[in-house]
Amino acid sequence: MGTVAPRIRFVLFAAASVVIASVPFLTDDRYLLKILTFVGLNAIVVAGLALLLGFAGQISMGHAAFFGLGAYTSAYLTTAHEVPWLLAVAAGTLLAATGGLLLALPSLRLKGHYLAMATLGFNEIMSVLFVEMRGITGGNDGLSGIPFPSIGSFVIDSPAAIYILVWAVAALAFVGAANLVRTRPGRAMRALHGSELGALASGVNTVGLKVQVFAVSAALAGLAGALYAHSVGFISPSQFSLEFSILLVAMVVVGGTGSLTGPFIAAVALTLLQYVHALIPGLSKDAAALIQDWEVDISGLIMILTVIFVPGGLAAFLKRRRSGAGEEGEIA
Amino acid sequence: MSESLLKVEGLCAGYGRVPVIRDVSLSVAAGEVVTLIGANGAGKSTLLKAISGLIKPTAGTVIFDGLDVTGTPPERLVRQGLALVPEGRMLFGPMSVHENLLLGGHTQTPEGVRGALERVHTLFPVLAERSSQAAATLSGGEQQMLAVGRALMSSPRLLLLDEPSLGLAPKVIADIFAVLDGLRAEGLAILLVEQDARLALRHSDRGLVMRAGHVALEGTASELISNDDIRLIYLGAWHGEE
Repeated sequence: MGTVAPRIRFVLFAAASVVIASVPFLTDDRYLLKILTFVGLNAIVVAGLALLLGFAGQISMGHAAFFGLGAYTSAYLTTAHEVPWLLAVAAGTLLAATGGLLLALPSLRLKGHYLAMATLGFNEIMSVLFVEMRGITGGNDGLSGIPFPSIGSFVIDSPAAIYILVWAVAALAFVGAANLVRTRPGRAMRALHGSELGALASGVNTVGLKVQVFAVSAALAGLAGALYAHSVGFISPSQFSLEFSILLVAMVVVGGTGSLTGPFIAAVALTLLQYVHALIPGLSKDAAALIQDWEVDISGLIMILTVIFVPGGLAAFLKRRRSGAGEEGEIA
Repeated sequence: MSESLLKVEGLCAGYGRVPVIRDVSLSVAAGEVVTLIGANGAGKSTLLKAISGLIKPTAGTVIFDGLDVTGTPPERLVRQGLALVPEGRMLFGPMSVHENLLLGGHTQTPEGVRGALERVHTLFPVLAERSSQAAATLSGGEQQMLAVGRALMSSPRLLLLDEPSLGLAPKVIADIFAVLDGLRAEGLAILLVEQDARLALRHSDRGLVMRAGHVALEGTASELISNDDIRLIYLGAWHGEE
């Protein structure tokens, strides 16, 4: 099968890795490193959501809630019970996965709009719980004083070190997702997206597969959330709202279905868009304020334009550029 | 006749509350090719779906290889050796021919997949030639071959085949039936649904005529071909006269 495309993909991956890894050596701007850390965190979530939405074809409007579940779990365990960081992050990831499993079991029997509504409802319920379970979450005041990541006596407390930690996890998430997509379960996921009846007739346990993908996807969101909590030190319910869920879906839609590279690029671009005011040096205060006010609308507009003009997203665009290598064929 | 591989008794099934097939009984022996004929809406495809587990029967039993498999999910039935080529083929369009075939072998061990792939490539050399091409870009005939090939990847003992000739040119249909003859010679049992009854019966051991959700008549293929009533039943239904 196509030998050109995988090589290009590998070169792209290697180049992106070098660029990303060299950032901490090129700058010591704490704010810039923090923004780029957020980019990495969103990329981790998007790796999982791309599997779910872009490959298995199942939507989730509740990934911000899984992100929050991971964040609160890890934050609570480290602050209230002094659980070691690594264990707390693992617990946050696991709880998010369990939450995903429990949500997926009933709701993945639903399709399309109904699944969107069910997951959207889940996000709203979790938002309320994050506020109301004051004993654990600190209510609207949030949780503060969340410790930096640490393993034993080794504390990861500089912005550069946190940046490297997050991006190392992001790289693992993408390598893992890319492997999954190319092997047996990934093939079954794509088949499910192509023709559910065909997948059933081929002996794919479609319900079981959907539940598993949902759990993996929720776990990645939870993992990113836990890392987030320890990188910023403070979390509050508003950070895990439906708005964030929609932004995550936008990243995958703009990036394109059936692709990991597209959603990754979209995750980088749409996350940076939120901080455009800080990233462009000469930007006037008024212009910065204007962009900040309209940032959600710009994301929405990009998503609408993508769906109308490039339904295959960035991925379809990339594929068209290197036609001839297209071993995956057209987006039918 | 030897012991039947598939035995369906008193099967009823439908969609939601609408019953489509009523009290259907039939059997397929190992290595036997049986054709279901009947007009559109007679319940042929529904029967195949109910046997293969895609819809749950409301009554009756399905015995496959001596085991009661009524209402068993399709992924288990595929493992047990019962494969369906669904109506409309249901291929994975953007995925390559190779990947479509690998999916057909989803329930197989890696060695099983290798063996089955070799067999399918021998049966349909064109699928080997077009291995890396997206399934959606194949011609209609090639797509049907891929659909059959995908089902064969699970190394079934019974193949349920829904309308293999649908929308295909006569030459291509002949090619596909030639392959089915080959599979029959290898001892694969086939339960075939086909609009072109005459063609299908010529390649079958036995036939059943379905009308309004139940089996109206059954007999050996040669009996049915030479039976004037058969012509009346399906020709009558074709032209809307009873």
